Amino acid sequence: MSPRPQIGPRLERVLALVPWIAEHPGSPLDELAVRFDVTPDELERDLELLPFCGLPPYSPDRLIDVEIVEGRVWIRFAEYFARPLRLTADEGLGLLAAGEALLAVPGSDQAGSLATALDKLAAAIGTERGVSVQVGGGTFLDELRGAADRRERVEIDYYSFGRDVTSTREIDPESVFHAFGQWYVDAYCHDAAARRMFRVDRVRGVRPTGEHFDPPAPSDAEDGESGEDSEAGSVFHPRADDARVTLRLGPDAGWVAESYPTESVTDRADGGWDVVLVVSERAFLERILLRLGPEAEVTAPPEWTSVGAEAARRVRARYG
Amino acid sequence: MADRLERLTTLVANLLDTRTPLTLEQIVQNVPGYPEEKASYRRQFERDKDTLRGIGVPISVETVGNETMYRIRPDEYYLPALDLTPEEQAAIHVAVTAVRLPGVGTDTALWKIGGQEGEAVPALASLPTTPALAELFDAYRKRATVTFTHRGAKRRLDPYGLVFRRGHWYVVGRDHDREDPRAFRADRIDGEITVGNAGAFTVPEGLDPATLVRDDPMRFGSEDASVEARILVDAEQAAFVVEELGEAAVETRHADGSVVVTTTVTNRAAFRSFVLGLLDRAEVLGPPDLRAETVAWLDRISGDAA
Repeated sequence: MSPRPQIGPRLERVLALVPWIAEHPGSPLDELAVRFDVTPDELERDLELLPFCGLPPYSPDRLIDVEIVEGRVWIRFAEYFARPLRLTADEGLGLLAAGEALLAVPGSDQAGSLATALDKLAAAIGTERGVSVQVGGGTFLDELRGAADRRERVEIDYYSFGRDVTSTREIDPESVFHAFGQWYVDAYCHDAAARRMFRVDRVRGVRPTGEHFDPPAPSDAEDGESGEDSEAGSVFHPRADDARVTLRLGPDAGWVAESYPTESVTDRADGGWDVVLVVSERAFLERILLRLGPEAEVTAPPEWTSVGAEAARRVRARYG
Repeated sequence: MADRLERLTTLVANLLDTRTPLTLEQIVQNVPGYPEEKASYRRQFERDKDTLRGIGVPISVETVGNETMYRIRPDEYYLPALDLTPEEQAAIHVAVTAVRLPGVGTDTALWKIGGQEGEAVPALASLPTTPALAELFDAYRKRATVTFTHRGAKRRLDPYGLVFRRGHWYVVGRDHDREDPRAFRADRIDGEITVGNAGAFTVPEGLDPATLVRDDPMRFGSEDASVEARILVDAEQAAFVVEELGEAAVETRHADGSVVVTTTVTNRAAFRSFVLGLLDRAEVLGPPDLRAETVAWLDRISGDAA
């Protein structure tokens, strides 16, 4: 017997196709294939099985009637499939969350087709727009998205969280996207002469240059190096020359191992951990140490063991 | 032997069309393609039933006398009329291509609402998801109370909605044990969620679920006495802090670009984390005990405690 792992999705497609075609008699096959995201061959296979489906006694008027004439389709005798199957919780959530997210992007039309579509969907699902999605944006999101769309080089003031300094750079913003709860600009940075990922909420100013840039060839886009952000999950790629710092963490500081890039995590008998952390910038480690206080201690290498105390004294100096 | 897809399609047609529920024997007699031997057709039907339920077909099982009978109730099966215009369908299509939700079934959802209308767009956003999400959403739409363990504590919640903020999903609602609206991070729910009966509560009229997720970590999840903190923030970090806390938090803007902000603190550890994350670009001005606490914390780290 041949395995048929795709039976579920295929059945779902058939149960959605039939009511659509019944409601839109004479739909062109090629349009249907695009609409239901299948190849024309797959679509024809779906349609070919329908005349064998129906109700007892399976006389011609009790079987689903499919007629294909000159590339157009008609379906009759399938009244019980007059409507598609209800949306599952998963599907309803998927549509509403995607719609609400897009509507939350600054600049979306709050009274347009998407908003009215979401109202209708939510009413049918019974949820009254109870899915709220906030994606933020920051002051310069619109400007950066506009520059990326126009392919215009811009000058930005960018605050580096890791190094705790603001610098001015010229970038070619190739794309702007939202991930891990943050907006990022994927850009070629002329000052670094490399691709970089910038967090939009750390952009402090944007100035147009009037210069057009050409998008890189696809092969260039593959080997982008990015290291600006230390806590951006998969956006972060440790570099070979980043320092490896060993931290002794108390039992309450386990989240550090989950939140930051580590090389190794070792359980200790007292309930704490020894963690080897990848540190590209000193300020990044300073923040961790000041937040954790007695819950963390640098044990190696020797030149890093006093980072916490020095940072604490520097901040303390403000308090007189 | 009939193709399995044919049999499943015919099975759905028969169960939907029947006015009275059908016994297994009636089903096997009516629907071509089942084996003849009782143990075999029973097994085959169970498999078919699982497949159908797996895609969300609501098969109801009714017991009449000592017979088990099956049917699909049309009102539970049919998607209500959506009356989406082609523009609205196209807008949904754009949304599901622009916003990715890994592991959530938007392809099949799109088929049901009439397929792809108009053009797809490049991906713009990706929202993380967590397995508990669909279950919580289902409980919310059914108005069913949920029970779960969240960070080690058992909770009973009437879900009023789902909120995505700062990269995380929250389920918001009324907490039975605290008699209070609360928000729980969905990815911090451990293990199984128990869903109670549908229609167990009503959502307060006009409630915006987003208002139940408190923005400010310094006021989230702690019992510390509330104080008004004043912080001086240097120009370097002023824009960031004002964006975090909101324009209303600004007390004074200085000519050099620095700002004084005020914020309510009920979670001192979260407050300390926030302020010290600014390193030497910020200073706690008051109240005096909060300032002293910050100094003592720093002295402890440097080993300079008196």
